[in-house]
Amino acid sequence: MENKFKKITSLWIITVLILFVVAIILGLLMRFNQGGNIKLDPVTFYTDMTIHGLTMIGIWFVAGMAAVNYIMERYVRTSYKANLIAYIMTVVGVLMLWGAGFIGKFHAGWTFLYPLPFKIMWEQWATPLFLYALLVLGVGWTIWTVSLMISLLKKYTLSQVFAWQHFKRDAKPEVETPPFVLISMISLVGVLSCLITAAALDFLLLTEYYSNGGFINDALLMKNLTYFFGHTLANEMLYLGLAVIYELFSEVSGRPKWKTSWYVAYAWNLTLFFVLFAFLHHMYMDFVQPETLQIIGQLASYLASIPSTGVTIFSILVAVYGTKINWNLANLMFFIGTAGWVSGGIGAVIDATISNNFLLHNTLWVPAHFHTYNALGNVLFSLGFFYWFSFQLKDGIIKDKHSMLKILLIVIGGIGFLAAFYFAGADSVARRYANYPEEMASGKFWATFGGTFATIYLLGIILFIGGILKRCFGFVFSRV
Amino acid sequence: MFRLCLFTSIVMLTILPAQSLFSQSLGDFREEINIYNTLYDAPLHLVGGADVSLHELAKDKPIILALVFSRCSGVCNPLVLELKENLRMLNLQQELPYSVLVLSFDPWDKIEDMQYMAERFNLTNEPDWYFGVTDSINQVINSVGFKPIWDEKKKQFDHDALLAGVSTKGKMTKKLLGLRNSKDLRMLVQSINKVFIPSYRLPTNTSIFTCFNYDPETGKIVPGTGLLIIIMPVLITWLTVIGIRMAVRKKTT
Amino acid sequence: MQSLLLYLFLILTVVSTSVFIYVYRSSIKAGDKDGGLTNVLTKRMWFILILFVVLAIFFSATVPKSPYFMFKDEIPSKSVNVTAGQYFFYMSYSAINPDAPTSEPIELGVNELVEFRVTSRDVTHTFAVYDENNQVVAQTQAMPGYVNNLRWKFEKPGTYKIFCLEYCGAGHHIMRGSFTVK
Repeated sequence: MENKFKKITSLWIITVLILFVVAIILGLLMRFNQGGNIKLDPVTFYTDMTIHGLTMIGIWFVAGMAAVNYIMERYVRTSYKANLIAYIMTVVGVLMLWGAGFIGKFHAGWTFLYPLPFKIMWEQWATPLFLYALLVLGVGWTIWTVSLMISLLKKYTLSQVFAWQHFKRDAKPEVETPPFVLISMISLVGVLSCLITAAALDFLLLTEYYSNGGFINDALLMKNLTYFFGHTLANEMLYLGLAVIYELFSEVSGRPKWKTSWYVAYAWNLTLFFVLFAFLHHMYMDFVQPETLQIIGQLASYLASIPSTGVTIFSILVAVYGTKINWNLANLMFFIGTAGWVSGGIGAVIDATISNNFLLHNTLWVPAHFHTYNALGNVLFSLGFFYWFSFQLKDGIIKDKHSMLKILLIVIGGIGFLAAFYFAGADSVARRYANYPEEMASGKFWATFGGTFATIYLLGIILFIGGILKRCFGFVFSRV
Repeated sequence: MFRLCLFTSIVMLTILPAQSLFSQSLGDFREEINIYNTLYDAPLHLVGGADVSLHELAKDKPIILALVFSRCSGVCNPLVLELKENLRMLNLQQELPYSVLVLSFDPWDKIEDMQYMAERFNLTNEPDWYFGVTDSINQVINSVGFKPIWDEKKKQFDHDALLAGVSTKGKMTKKLLGLRNSKDLRMLVQSINKVFIPSYRLPTNTSIFTCFNYDPETGKIVPGTGLLIIIMPVLITWLTVIGIRMAVRKKTT
Repeated sequence: MQSLLLYLFLILTVVSTSVFIYVYRSSIKAGDKDGGLTNVLTKRMWFILILFVVLAIFFSATVPKSPYFMFKDEIPSKSVNVTAGQYFFYMSYSAINPDAPTSEPIELGVNELVEFRVTSRDVTHTFAVYDENNQVVAQTQAMPGYVNNLRWKFEKPGTYKIFCLEYCGAGHHIMRGSFTVK
């Protein structure tokens, strides 16, 4: 039983890491093309961009899910079948997406903002293939999400799974909800909402596609749906990573396990609510959206970050301050990832302010902040888990080699790569430009600069994941 | 899950045909011509004897300008009648002050013709209603962007029904072409009173799933059917969560 | 303004990262028996309270500066119709027929209130105005089926460029336009 889960988790990790390296290389091609170091035609550039975005968002979401599923086995019995179905459908879905992109040249961006997928500038079949690929992924992930929810709800009642019995300050409830269970459940609820939204969006798109002009969608509605799905999914995958940290940070560090306190319960329940409205900050520059919603968007963007971020960061800082810890690559990744997440959060709060967004919207500032809490945040959370997991396949004792070098390469590469985005964004260089016009000449310099540092980051990643891949491959092909 | 997808599809399919297309205003892109231009400051002769320029008249209260001619057998009468009825119904004067200027664009019209017209509509003693003629009608209609064409056969002008909003500074803030409902009229009165409407839906956008509709009757933005589609996933999620818990509890007990 | 935001970001990031480094070092130095912080809860509450107050101030200071509230009580002296399409900006003082769009050169006055009425004839674009230093000064989205009204006063004369900031297809980066302010 146990080995079955180790195998499927190893498979997830192998798939994620290989796709990760490919997607980074696509990113490097884009940056070096923008810098004028290589030459891609715009269609190739925008195809790369579309696939880079979709692959990255997809793999780090499933990485979070796979980690949560593995750890959840400690508390409840999860469905191996659902895990396997999700894996197969993810692989099929990704292949379909890559087919639509690499062969069909579909290049509407990973957000496929309506009505761009219907202004066909690629193979005729690429648009429906793309839409069906989304459907395959959506169905696979929904099965997984619902199955994990069922597992949790079999053991915990509704109020227990959301840790409501912890709301009282001095509560000593009979059934304690581990923070891991609480955060996982809260993330799963958000994930399910995104996936249903994606289904609605896909349904509306397919209806228009097959109606031959008989049914036209409303651009404002479609944009709202797109970002409710896209933004919330990106948010929830970060929370999945945090669930893992709440479980593993203390364990890997050789410290007592964290418990759900009343403020942790409150903070995460608030997040459950506010995160649903944060996506509205993608609509600031659409003046057609009523002002009230715009202001709610700014407020929700602030409030969605305060409780969970505040509680989590402080928990980690408090756990580390003046305390002897068994530092190793796993908890260092968690620790550095949290610092990176905070930096990305600062960039995000600045941009989620309407009057700043008026100047920064869709400049490189936007990829700057979300790459910060992915490349130096969420990715590190998942890498920390992968690292820890790969030693579970052997004897559970973590042995580090060249850890300083690996960390330095990832951190220095990452900072340089991200700095290029921030500086160019503050200089009004547009995002998603295959080539920069002379007015954005500084973008060229920063692209080469960022690309160079991203190469260092990639080097660090390859060094870091080598051992993990070796251990995971070894386990998948072993006869246990 | 499949049941869920099915449910979603059924919900959507039932919404689809049940929707009637929203009634669209008749206006089209021609309404944008010359917006925010300062209108020609024509000297006016008003029924009742007053001589005043257009800008002077607008200074106290912004103007709803209706362009008509007295021998019109077409759209002029319904235009003025509807304007009168709609304004009475909206009853905006307290909140958003305005006056109405019914101006003849026919150079042959005399002040007596307009006097007769005012009497016909029973508007001679109505405060805030002015009927008049001007010697510089060509400059006025040029600055409005209004082009009546004389049809020699019918002995009539071929022209649009047109209302224009004029601000206290003499600027044209909005135009309405054709016979329009009270909602659109309210939007016009708002515009001359400097109510900023940051955006609006184009008449060509006939999608049934819009998120918001501007309701000029109340001046507020009201939710459309599209908003339901945004809220629905969250509702379905919670129904699923509660549903799962109820189902597994039944099994275990 | 943009560089101010960059400095704000850099300062806050350096501060927060320093805290992490400091905490990390304190852990390295710690002996076996050191127990870390005491009375954690009070400190955590302070932390969240400060964060909350800072954000509340930031919120109330910035909301009134949102573009929907700018120049709300004035009537613009000019309106410019903008119709975006793959990969052009059509601009005209008079209305633009989306089926047969035409453009004319636009000249605006310094400190004159202008209203841009922005829409799109195909996919979503952005109407982003860049000044002579190639910095964004104002922007709004061009969404098919809707008109977004952007009001602005240009304080400096010169040639202003327009770029599209919403990805709109393979020609996205060549889409541009301009107008002059005198």
